Amino acid sequence: MNYLDILKNSPDMVSPGISACQGCGGELVLRRVLQVAGENTIVAVPPGCMAGSGVVGWSHDSGMKIPVHIPLLDNTASFLSGLSHIYRRSGREDVNIVAIAGDGASADCGFQSLSGAAERGEHMLYVCYDNEGYMNTGYQRSSTTTEGSRTSTTPLGRRFSGKQQPQKYVPLIMSMHGAAYCATATPANMPDLIRKIQKGLAASKTGFAYLHVFSPCPTGWSFAPDRTIEVARRAVKSNMFPLWERDGDGWTLNYVNERPIPVSEFVEGIGKFSKLSERQLASIQRAADERYAAVSALASIQNRA
Amino acid sequence: MYDRHFVTPVGNRGMYVLDTSSWRTHRPVMDKATCVNCGICMGYCPVNSVRWSEGGGYYISYDYCKGCGICAAECPRGAISMEREGGEE
Amino acid sequence: MGSIRVLTGNYAAAEAAALCRPDLISAYPITPQSSVVEHLSELVHNGELDAELVQVESEHSAMSVVQGAAAGGARTFTATSAQGLALMYEPYFRMSTLRLPMVMAIATREMTSPETIWSGQQDAISVRDAGWIQMFCDSNQEIVDMIIQGYMLSEHPQVCLPVNICYDGFYSSHLTCGVDMPTQEEVDAFLPPRSANHSALLDPRSPLALDPMTPGELLMNYRRNHLAAMQRALEVIEETDRKFAAAFGRSYGGLIEEYRCDDAELVLITLGGMTGAGKDAVDESRERGIRAGLIKLRFYRPFPAARLASALRGKRAFCVVDRSVCFGWNCGPMYVELRSALENCGSYARFSAIGGLGGADISVADMARVIDRLNDIKDRPGEYGTLWLMKDQEAEV
Repeated sequence: MNYLDILKNSPDMVSPGISACQGCGGELVLRRVLQVAGENTIVAVPPGCMAGSGVVGWSHDSGMKIPVHIPLLDNTASFLSGLSHIYRRSGREDVNIVAIAGDGASADCGFQSLSGAAERGEHMLYVCYDNEGYMNTGYQRSSTTTEGSRTSTTPLGRRFSGKQQPQKYVPLIMSMHGAAYCATATPANMPDLIRKIQKGLAASKTGFAYLHVFSPCPTGWSFAPDRTIEVARRAVKSNMFPLWERDGDGWTLNYVNERPIPVSEFVEGIGKFSKLSERQLASIQRAADERYAAVSALASIQNRA
Repeated sequence: MYDRHFVTPVGNRGMYVLDTSSWRTHRPVMDKATCVNCGICMGYCPVNSVRWSEGGGYYISYDYCKGCGICAAECPRGAISMEREGGEE
Repeated sequence: MGSIRVLTGNYAAAEAAALCRPDLISAYPITPQSSVVEHLSELVHNGELDAELVQVESEHSAMSVVQGAAAGGARTFTATSAQGLALMYEPYFRMSTLRLPMVMAIATREMTSPETIWSGQQDAISVRDAGWIQMFCDSNQEIVDMIIQGYMLSEHPQVCLPVNICYDGFYSSHLTCGVDMPTQEEVDAFLPPRSANHSALLDPRSPLALDPMTPGELLMNYRRNHLAAMQRALEVIEETDRKFAAAFGRSYGGLIEEYRCDDAELVLITLGGMTGAGKDAVDESRERGIRAGLIKLRFYRPFPAARLASALRGKRAFCVVDRSVCFGWNCGPMYVELRSALENCGSYARFSAIGGLGGADISVADMARVIDRLNDIKDRPGEYGTLWLMKDQEAEV
C-alpha cells in the first residue's frame, strides 16, 4: 500500500491537541509511529518533549487512545522488556510493544537499559526521536548534540563556543547489538519512515527493533517552524544523517548520495550553528563524510556476500 | 469491596486535549484549483490537521492546526498559503 | 507434608520464590545475594520452574523489568543487596507508589564506604521510607515462610504494596540449616493465584494512561491512601500469620516476636539474624537471676508501634540493638523509631546499641554486655549513651 493510503486508513492514536511546539519533528514522528502501530499497541513515552507535551495525560485523563505509560528517563527499554515478556507468555504476541523516547532517554542516561534490552533481543520497537538535546527542559546538550551547537549548557562563550565534543553516532552503536532490525529515518523521507515503522513492528515480534529518527526542533535549534522538513532533508543530503537499515539480510544504504551537499548548507539558517568556527565546521564535515563512508562500506560488504 | 480510587495513578476518565488552534498567528489556506491531491501536506503535518475526504480530496481542519506552515512550505505546487489570522497582513 | 532440606538462606529464598509460581524473575548478581538468582536460573534452565527469566545488565533494570511485568499483571520476584538496592532506588520507589505488588528478597549488606561486601542492615534501612513493606528474618525457615506469606500480603486487596523479605547477608544467606520445605500443593492451596486480585494495568483491551502528570492536590490523595494501606497492612500481617499457622503449623507472632517477656524487667529489641545471640544471652542471664526478655521486631515498615508499646508496658529498661546507624541522631535508626512509638518513653532506662556493621559479629557476649548494662541502670530511668558493640571499646555509662 502507498504510504498515503496507509496514513488515510490509520487513525491518530494521540490526543489531537498536545503542547508540542509549532513544527515539532518529534510530534510528527510520534503520530506517524502510532498511526502505523494502531490500537493493539502499548506505548511507553519517557520524560522528554513528547511526555511533556501531554501525551501521557493529566490528572485522571489520558493523552492517548491506547495504553500509555511514562517510564523513568532511564528505564524505558527495561520496563518494556518485562511487559513484553508477559504479553508473549500469555500468548498475546500480537500486541505491539513500542517506545517513543528522546535522545536523552535513549543515548544518555537511558543508554544502559536500551543497550541491555537490545542485547537480550527483547521483543519491542524502540523509536528514538533525536532532537539532539534536552529540549523539553530548555535545550541542554546531550551526547547526540552536534559539535559546535549552541545549547543552554554549551553557550557561545568567549572561551568556549558551543558544544566542544563531536556527536555520538548512536544508530551505528545500536546496530552492533545483534538486534532483529536497526534503521535510521527522518520525517522528510516520509515513505521511507512509514516503511521502516512497519518493518520495525514486524521485527519486534521476533526480536529487538530500533529506529533512530532525526527530529529537527525549531524552538531549540532556532529556525522557522515551517523549515522542519527542509532541515531534515538537508541532513540527509549532506550526509549528516545517512539513511540506512540493517535487518536479517544485512545492511542497506537507503539513500545513495552521489553528490552530497556540503554541511555548510545543512547548518545554514539554523540558529544554534550561527557562530560555528571554521574548525568546528570542518570537524562536522569530517564526521558526516566518515559516517557515510562507514555505512556505505557496511552496505557494500552485504552486496559482495 | 475496597475502593481502588487513588490507589495506582491512572488516567481513564477521558482524553486530555489542549486547544492548540488558539496558537495560530497564520492559517494555511489551500487553493483547491492549484492542488493536485498529491498528499505531501498530509504526510508532513505534525498535528494531523490535513485530512482526506473521499470525493473532496485533501483539506485542512483548523480545530487543532498550530499554524506551523510546514504544509505551505512543502507543497510542491505552491497551493497552500499562510494567511494572517483575524485580518489582512 | 513437605520435606526437611538443608539449605542456605539464599537457596531457601529461591526455592520458596519458585513455589509461589512467579511469572517473571529478573535479577542481577551481587554479593551476597547472587546465589538466589543463580539457583532460580538453574531451576528455569532445568525446566523445573516455568517462569520468564530476564538476566539484566543492572539492578536498576531488574526492578524496571519486574515493574513492566507487574504492570502487565504478572507475579514477579527479584533479589538484591546493598549497592544493588541503592542503584535500583529510582524504580524501587516507583514500584510502591504505582502500588504494584511483588516480593523482593534482600540479603542485607553494609553500604560502602569504606569498601566492604559484608553483612549489615544499612542497605534496607536506608530505603525504609520508599513505601515498601519491609520484613526481617532470622532463620532460613522464616525466609521460606515469609516469602510465601509475602505474596499473600503484597497482593492482598487491602494492601497492594510490594514487600521486602530481608535476611542478614552471609549469616543467613550463606549458612545452611534444616528447612521444612512446603510442597507445591500446600503452597498452591495457601496462596491465591496472582490473577485473583490483580489484572494488567496496561492492556489494549482497556486502554488507560498509567501515571499521567498529577497535580499536588491529587498527588496527596495517592500518598494519603498509600499511608492508609500501610496501616491496614498491620492487621493483614497478623491475619496472614494466623492463616499460615493454620495451614503449616508455624507462627512467628506476626509483627513482633516476644521471647521470655512476660515477667521481664529488661528487654532487648533486635532485628534479623542477631536475634539468636540475643535469645542465648537472655537465657544465660536468666540463669544468673536477671529478668531479661527479648522482642524481635519482624516488620520495620509498617512500624508496629502499638504492639511494641504494649509489649514494653511495665518493663523498666530496654535497649534497641541496631545493625545500622542513623547519621543524624548519634544512635541506631530503630532506636529512634522506637522512642517515637512510646508515649511514656521517659519512664524507661534506655539506650541504643550499634554493632555488627560491615560483617562484624554480634556475639552472645555482646548481648550479655547489653543486658548487664540494662541491669545496672534499670532503677534510674533516662537515656544513656549509645553503646558500640566493639571488642576494644568500653561501655559509656
